[in-house]
Amino acid sequence: MAEARQVPEVAAPAVAQGNAAYAWPTHPTYMGTDVQRIDGPDKVTGRAKYSYDIQRPNMLYGRIVRSPHPRARVVAIDLTMARQAPGVKAALAVVEPNAILMFQGEEVAAVAAATEEQARDAARLVKVQYEVLPPLTSVEQAMSPDAPKVFPDGNVREGAAEETGDLAAGFKAAAHVVEQTYNTQVQTHVSLETHGCVCEWDGDKLTAWVSTQAVHGTREGFAQALKIPQANVRVITQYMGGGFGSKFAPDAQGIICANLAKQAGAPVHLMLDRKEEHLATGNRPSAYAKIRAGVSADGMLTAFDAQTWGTGGAGVGAGFPLPYIYQFPNRRRQHKDVYINAGGARAMRAPGHPQGCFITEVLMDELADLVKLDPVDFRMKNLPPDAPDARWRAYFPIAAKLFGWDKRHPTGDATPGPIKHGFGCSANRWGGGGRGSHAHCEILPDGGVIMRCGTQDIGTGTRTLVSIVTAETLGLPIDAVNTEIGDSLYPFSGGSGGSTTAASVTPAIRVTAVKALDALKAKVAPKLGVPPADLVASDGRLHARNDRAKGMTWKEACRTLGAEPIAVDGEWQPGLSASGTSGVQMAEVEVDTETGVSKVTRLVCVQDCGLIVDKLTAESQVIGGVLFGVNYALFEDRILDRNTGQMVNPNMEWYLIGGPSDVPEITAHLVDQPERGVIGLGEPPAVATAAAIANAIANATGVRLRSLPMTPDKVLAALEQQRAGGTR
Amino acid sequence: MKVTITVNGTPYTRDVEPRTLLAYFLREHCGLTGTHVGCDTSSCGCCVAVLDGQTAVKTCTMFAVQADGHEILTVEGLAAGGALHPIQQAFSDQHGLHCGYCTPGMMLTTVALLKHTPAPTEAQIREGLAGNLCRCTGYNNIVKAVQQAADVLRQPAAATK
Ligand code: FES
Ligand code: FES
Repeated sequence: MAEARQVPEVAAPAVAQGNAAYAWPTHPTYMGTDVQRIDGPDKVTGRAKYSYDIQRPNMLYGRIVRSPHPRARVVAIDLTMARQAPGVKAALAVVEPNAILMFQGEEVAAVAAATEEQARDAARLVKVQYEVLPPLTSVEQAMSPDAPKVFPDGNVREGAAEETGDLAAGFKAAAHVVEQTYNTQVQTHVSLETHGCVCEWDGDKLTAWVSTQAVHGTREGFAQALKIPQANVRVITQYMGGGFGSKFAPDAQGIICANLAKQAGAPVHLMLDRKEEHLATGNRPSAYAKIRAGVSADGMLTAFDAQTWGTGGAGVGAGFPLPYIYQFPNRRRQHKDVYINAGGARAMRAPGHPQGCFITEVLMDELADLVKLDPVDFRMKNLPPDAPDARWRAYFPIAAKLFGWDKRHPTGDATPGPIKHGFGCSANRWGGGGRGSHAHCEILPDGGVIMRCGTQDIGTGTRTLVSIVTAETLGLPIDAVNTEIGDSLYPFSGGSGGSTTAASVTPAIRVTAVKALDALKAKVAPKLGVPPADLVASDGRLHARNDRAKGMTWKEACRTLGAEPIAVDGEWQPGLSASGTSGVQMAEVEVDTETGVSKVTRLVCVQDCGLIVDKLTAESQVIGGVLFGVNYALFEDRILDRNTGQMVNPNMEWYLIGGPSDVPEITAHLVDQPERGVIGLGEPPAVATAAAIANAIANATGVRLRSLPMTPDKVLAALEQQRAGGTR
Repeated sequence: MKVTITVNGTPYTRDVEPRTLLAYFLREHCGLTGTHVGCDTSSCGCCVAVLDGQTAVKTCTMFAVQADGHEILTVEGLAAGGALHPIQQAFSDQHGLHCGYCTPGMMLTTVALLKHTPAPTEAQIREGLAGNLCRCTGYNNIVKAVQQAADVLRQPAAATK
């Protein structure tokens, strides 16, 4: 079975080394300011068409038949009745008899019919005979010695032990030792627009409107699976309703949709429903860690010994970084990937980091309590050295000041009454960084400007960033730029994941726009009698650097082109973007010790943002990331029935996402570091929130929760245990 | 079954199956795809439209036949004569959207909210939108957008809207 398509953290320099030819402007007009999204009006009027909204002439609706069983052998598939059902134009088996299905929701067959209802009816008429096989439904079961051997290479894959320093000496130096087990749950992506596409064939050429984070990667995926040339595939994603790491390829449903469209000779619309989405389109793996850790009497970390495991479902790994950020000089870790019969993991907003962060940061607070140090002071003592991408030593004090950390009381709110308040903190890091984007710019004789790049806007504001950088470079208003993205016909750009998009795309746009402007300057210079190098573009004019009057309007300049527009290609170059980021978060909670309900009342996030392109979208991206963390902390949990292995909450009614009344106003403090160039922002803010909330709950109640999500039943159980004689 | 539903002022008469949900009536029978579906189970609020100018309804949980003879307002009907409705302007101005998939439902819920609570507090806005989920924004800017819209709509010049 395939590994999850993880977007790796990019290892690029932490500081932009400068790129004289294309350097970012030192006194920008738009960059770093609040620029409204250029697609705002389209999105508020319903004009923005998502893949879900695409309607083509004679379009059919596709529907997939999926395995209801977490593990089964397909005995037979009979499509006869489905084919005869009203409106049906195509029906196909996705797997052959004898195929072994490894998770609930695995694709078995598919139909396409004239209406959505007819497709659902026909799907019910597909007769599949299964031989149900006993599934692995939990990590505990999969790891037990008498578990059935379900996966060919074993249910458990043990990694090599990592060891640094002298563990025995580390524990010897410890004045206190914590020995505990921590765990995080499986989280699904829950993009509000589900996965899916519309596929339409014209002869042997395929056009696919796909809800994807990678138009080029998805083109490649279609070509490979359908065994057709990449040149015959066009993938379009004008607007998409979120992806969060789960949408990089056509996936099974894309290939099925293309095959149905081919068979029917008509376009097919195939979007998944919420249940399919939870079951089959990826998730964040669970994580478990059994840890022994030591701290010296003066509050220095001395030793860390961990056994870790987790499940990414059927055949997919569950790795995560541990220990996270803080320096344990002597440490050992042994990790196991555990496979169960459930949908496979995929990259999800900062893959691995929220798990590693939660486990380490909760442990850090336990150690701090033992040496009676304030959690911030304790962290400051044990942070790695300061670096451009590791500035926690600066950020903890900034966050503490913004938050009012000095008002924190010691663990356990002594206020009478059932409502307890508490503060918690934690830190995050992430890689990100740029590479390999291309763009094409045209300057037209009538003054028009087109910038094309085969990236896509997954909701973060990429389209707006392209316009900002182009307008900034050409000295034009933002609405003078026609930005065209989201189409595999445009120059290659990578997938939007791993917080790489802004750092990949904006340098490519800068380089391309500068080249286009240089070409225009070369045409205009002789007419103005100014050497091209002395010309600058600003405020809609092209003029001599030291004499604004010696120049012409943008339109006049473009008119000199005659019939031949300027058309130039450019690509990402080093020196304009960087990798790595750090941040700190602080949370305040209010816990009702009678009901167990925790409410987050304040959240402060201090985040390194490198060179900010659009302050409005950057800030909002950070705030949205923090909300992701709140949901992870308190609400989200993919729950499998321990007997049947079926998901018991495959909807949005019992798989919980916080609404506006469940979260407070989130304060984002962006630390602008223009010398670093553009860095990524999507993942890092989502990392630290759950740990900060967990630590705040412990500070409020005096009992420690070591398991996510921190639901009321867990809070009450921990309080009960304390009453019964302590939590250890 | 034959139904006539007035959507954004235009009557649509269509022959539908009894089980056809209002969301799919709007999307597939009227071609008005601004009404999105995120969950199909009344949980997310992507599909909200306004019924008879008064009530925010989740159109994934209402049959088209139940709306027979009624008036429905969707995102496509918000802008009067090309100018953005103050709520649309506010969501755009305040950046109350990222991917924008939840936005039509958010705005239509806001229409009904502000009709009944023209000067909402922040808490009332958050409660009023509690049935609308957003996976992207963190809600800060959505709250600001509703505040801006409420301020604009309370001014006398906007009273006709
Ligand atoms: S689609 Fe109607 S509430 Fe989610
Ligand atoms: S903006 Fe994406 S779901 Fe709200």
